[in-house]
Amino acid sequence: MTGQFAYPSDREEASAKKVAALEALLIEKGVITPQTVDKVLAYFETEMTPLNGKKIVVKAWTDPEFAEKVVADTPAAIAELDFPEGMAGAEGEHLKAVANKPGVHNLVICTLCSCFPWPVLGLPPYWYKDPVFRARAAREPRKVLAEVGLELPEDTEIKVWDSSGHSRWFVIPERPAGTEDFTEEQLMELVTTESMIGVALAGAPS
Amino acid sequence: MKLQHYLGGLEGLPEIESLEKRVFVQDWEKRIFGIHVAMMGLSNHLGSALPAYPIDEVPTTFKDEWTWADLRTGAEAMNPFDYFKYRYYEKWLGGITQFFLDKGYVTEEELAAKMAESEPVDAEVKTEIDDQVIAYLRYGDDPRRDVAHPKFAVGSTVRIANRPAGSHSRLPGYLRGRTGTVEHIFEGDYAYFVQTGDGIGDPMPIYIVAFDPVEIWGPQAEDGPETLYAELFEAYLEPTEENA
Repeated sequence: MTGQFAYPSDREEASAKKVAALEALLIEKGVITPQTVDKVLAYFETEMTPLNGKKIVVKAWTDPEFAEKVVADTPAAIAELDFPEGMAGAEGEHLKAVANKPGVHNLVICTLCSCFPWPVLGLPPYWYKDPVFRARAAREPRKVLAEVGLELPEDTEIKVWDSSGHSRWFVIPERPAGTEDFTEEQLMELVTTESMIGVALAGAPS
Repeated sequence: MKLQHYLGGLEGLPEIESLEKRVFVQDWEKRIFGIHVAMMGLSNHLGSALPAYPIDEVPTTFKDEWTWADLRTGAEAMNPFDYFKYRYYEKWLGGITQFFLDKGYVTEEELAAKMAESEPVDAEVKTEIDDQVIAYLRYGDDPRRDVAHPKFAVGSTVRIANRPAGSHSRLPGYLRGRTGTVEHIFEGDYAYFVQTGDGIGDPMPIYIVAFDPVEIWGPQAEDGPETLYAELFEAYLEPTEENA
């Protein structure tokens, strides 16, 4: 995928100049303030981050009742946890969790664009937005997963969720074996954005 | 067929060698992302959104509607061969800049002049503007409306409509004309930001429809158990002959 970024060197410089000019003009004209963009970015660094998703997954691993509820009624289950207000905010108005279990693996995609559950996972990484991934994961998910290092048993059912409506989907991965004695902090380290979208297992080397 | 809508299932594409895990691959991408979020958070439709924001009181000069639908309409209306030449945030930069030019907020001359200089901008920080943008992020823009009266029941077989595509659609192209099974009906009706021209906009039920990959891809479907689920507005569903 790296070839995707091999463009003439002034391509990026031109875009950087253009967006800087646009932002400066919007500030001068009173559309936004000199701090608006920085405040938006800070919000994604502090509040809408994958840390929220990791907490939800670890809670599901350690509390069977929560594990059931987070799939049955995701917003209500998340509302019970100790998060600041905002878990039902932009791109999280209708969160929907699906849980992996022995013999069932879930994969979330968005073939039309890049719908992503911002409050629990933050912003989508580039691979999720990559047209090649979006195109192929719909048709040949098993092959795509194997290419990125996730070889599933032949009899494991793959459920692919194309985010074409109002829900923003994420995956509760399975808790890795041998982690019975792990602390919550140790468990959280096993959970990645990739595992919460379904292109990796929790605990897989990243 | 509009290529942007038919990405799912496109053949002849290369292997995925590695996952690019960065969210932004260039610093400038952060700036256009932030501008887009600010526009969504200052959009004039938010006065009648759920929740209703006091948008008329916010001291911004932005007086237009800007939602995901506007961004997507721009990208999906592009010549598809151009669409795939540009990286994700390059399309955003092009579409958003064009919007501000079209609406008269900025001119080509002003942009060119600004690009030639690089003096920092000094302007008053009206915190109400920033507070509104952050409030939008925190409280969202909920499309759910009234109680639904769904036409189809869980378990019924439906055919996916094949209407002429507008600029923007929420119907993945590869599902057009295919048959699936209603797996779930969401509570309530769901509005869409705009009338897309292919049937959605007014509040209507949304379904999860399950598809057997063999129904979609025929003999080329992968071996092994797989199910594909899509969330589809009711306007995209038609009864099959058996249940018409």
